[in-house]
Amino acid sequence: MNIDLLPLIALREGEEGLIHFISGGYGLISRLASMGIAPGTQVTVLRNSGGPLLLLTNGTRIAIGKGQSSKIMVCKLKIKKETKPNEGKK
Amino acid sequence: MRGKNKLLVALAGQPNVGKSTVFNILTGLSQHVGNWPGKTVEKKEGFFISGDTEIKIVDLPGTYSLTAFSEEERVARDFVIKEQPGVIILITNAAALERSLYLLSELLLLGSPVVLGLNMIDVAQEQGIQIDVEALKNFLGIPVVPLVATKNKGLKELISGAVSLVKGELSYNLSLPRVSPDHKEVFDDLLEKVKEHIPQSYPVHWVVTKLMEGDPEVLDMLKKFLPAEKWEKVESLLLKHEDSQLAIVAGRYDWIEDAIRASVSQFKRGQILLTDRLDQVLTRPVFGIPILLGILGIVFVLTYGLGSPLQGLLEWLINSFARWIDPFLYSASAWIRGIIIDGIIGGAGTVLTFLPILLIFFAAMAFLEDVGYMARAAFVMDRFMHIIGLHGKSFLPIFLGFGCNVPAVLGARIIESERAKILTILLTPFVPCTARLAVLALVAAAVFGSSGAIVSWSLVALNILALGIAGMLVSRFFLKGQKMPFIMELPLYHRPNPKTICVVVWNRLKAFIKRAGTVILGFSVFIWIISNIPGATIEESLLGWMGLLIEPLGEPLGLDWKMIVALLGSFVAKENTIAMLGVLYGVGEEGLRNVLPNVMSHASALSFLVVMMLFIPCAATVAVMKQEIGSWKWFLFSFVLMFIVSFGSGLVAYRLALLLGI
Ligand SMILES: Nc1nc2c(ncn2[C@@H]2O[C@H](COP(=O)(O)OP(=O)(O)OP(=O)(O)O)[C@@H](O)[C@H]2O)c(=O)[nH]1
Ligand SMILES: [Mg+2]
Repeated sequence: MNIDLLPLIALREGEEGLIHFISGGYGLISRLASMGIAPGTQVTVLRNSGGPLLLLTNGTRIAIGKGQSSKIMVCKLKIKKETKPNEGKK
Repeated sequence: MRGKNKLLVALAGQPNVGKSTVFNILTGLSQHVGNWPGKTVEKKEGFFISGDTEIKIVDLPGTYSLTAFSEEERVARDFVIKEQPGVIILITNAAALERSLYLLSELLLLGSPVVLGLNMIDVAQEQGIQIDVEALKNFLGIPVVPLVATKNKGLKELISGAVSLVKGELSYNLSLPRVSPDHKEVFDDLLEKVKEHIPQSYPVHWVVTKLMEGDPEVLDMLKKFLPAEKWEKVESLLLKHEDSQLAIVAGRYDWIEDAIRASVSQFKRGQILLTDRLDQVLTRPVFGIPILLGILGIVFVLTYGLGSPLQGLLEWLINSFARWIDPFLYSASAWIRGIIIDGIIGGAGTVLTFLPILLIFFAAMAFLEDVGYMARAAFVMDRFMHIIGLHGKSFLPIFLGFGCNVPAVLGARIIESERAKILTILLTPFVPCTARLAVLALVAAAVFGSSGAIVSWSLVALNILALGIAGMLVSRFFLKGQKMPFIMELPLYHRPNPKTICVVVWNRLKAFIKRAGTVILGFSVFIWIISNIPGATIEESLLGWMGLLIEPLGEPLGLDWKMIVALLGSFVAKENTIAMLGVLYGVGEEGLRNVLPNVMSHASALSFLVVMMLFIPCAATVAVMKQEIGSWKWFLFSFVLMFIVSFGSGLVAYRLALLLGI
């Protein structure tokens, strides 16, 4: 399978990505991990309009600067119109 | 009865999960509560008694993990490691359990027994999240207690759980997160190498975990304690396994996932919808920024539109009281009469008339904090904060500065980089606090009459402009540095809780009344005395002579010596400015409003207000600034900066006013 990796900052509003890796120091990686952002987690970009990004991951909304979000590599997920997996039935 | 048992309990948890709410209920104290992450930045102790146990409980700053990424996290981590509390109560947000458990996975390694307080059950339920408490308890092997802290639900059980755990009455068999299997060998290897060299107070498993994570402090510590050849081996092992930090993180995530799978089910969305809808508008720059400005505008209009007339009314009441009491004092000596009418009533009494203005302003701020708007404001302000060399998070402490500069300076601890923290602290005094705003409102209304509002607005704008320019210059020329990370959680909005708001407002007002009744009262009396001895008129008094000395200083700014004394007195507390004007101009029965227009020209009043708004902050602020900045260099820098800016601006304002014939 070939996967296209993008920096998180390249996702547009409403798009989802699966985090592959984070290139950053000890501090950044552990802070992100403790807020629920780590390799393997899925994030939705709620806002990406020039300023900092606003992410949604597991029910938590996190604002993250442009610099940091270009260090997070994700693979873009196809947007499904039906319910998202972690919500179960509606 | 035998002596009471004593127990040290630490309240830990991620930011904004309700630790201080729990603390306040248990101890009856009043820590700052609001709906944004990072309010508590210092640890705070309280005491209470449960059964036969005297409990000392410590409210810790919120920490996402134990990595000590920023100052307030270090406070929490050091406390847990060094003080080794009898029990740690970990408060978690039931509506975001996964994230909350991350901290638990680290905390469990530290050795102190942990009780899990599952807070915000109400929020979780609204979102359709069901947590099977028994299952969670079984999985984690520690006591788990559901809570709704704001409604005081579950706190009794939480405390009795903690106490019985210490007494050994509850079962406690931990399931600990493991490092991911491919790194198990490295872990064991490291453990073998370092275990005999670690100082007693540090649990071995925790140290090895932190070592693999690459925690700088733990690395330093081991470098110190390990013999050189062993340290080299450890170092090369770590180098060979560069990805070991991820292995640790992955181990924790697996463990959390198991815990969640065992205990949580979710089936519908509730409150999130509200948050999403509001955020659609409030975090979008095109709407968000005008809305923020609009909200701030409304807050100020409300405060002064409603507060100023009420203040005038109070002033009238106080003056009437002075007139009423005056005849009774004729029989007493002129001294007593002077001290009471001009010192106490004219000084401290005038300051008390600020009450309505402060009440409205504090209520508005507490409301914005409690609904969860603050973090959104910080988010949309990010791009502007970059202009002054900071980012969005610095907006939070700076905004607090409108209430009072002291918590604002302390609040700068949430800023991760040292450079940005110092810059934030340097800029905080430019934010006019309520005390300064109240002085401004009163003097402007008195001297400028109907144009008072325009003058007030312009001066507030001037302060913000000065903040911007100072920020730009300082960050470009003095505090240069690289970009710093910006990571901030935006909490869910929630309905404002009237009780929380009332408590916050009441505490602030109480502090104000106390200040008026002690420091300001004392100062008013003191100033009255030194302006009445040895001669009978103020010109022949001690203060008058000193005034002659400093008079030349104010000359170019159009300030007479009384105004300068009032400015200097503002160092004690900003409200003091009014108390001093009241005493020095002897306004006792007439009220400042009626006296000031006769003694201050428009140009002088303008210059006076400009200097007052930008002057060196009050003593309390200065003290925390020194404490938080640490270095004398930056501290003195800030002093000189404020001095130059305030006098420079006063000078320009005065000359301009004369030129334009205002
Ligand atoms: N709905 C609901 N809200 C709660 C509950 N407990 C606390 N809150 C609210 O959550 C917000 C945060 O509470 P705090 O007590 O200030 O949180 P904290 O953990 O001390 O926060 P920091 O000091 O910033 O780390 C406040 O707005 C509280 O009113 C609860 O059980 N239910
Ligand atoms: Mg708190």
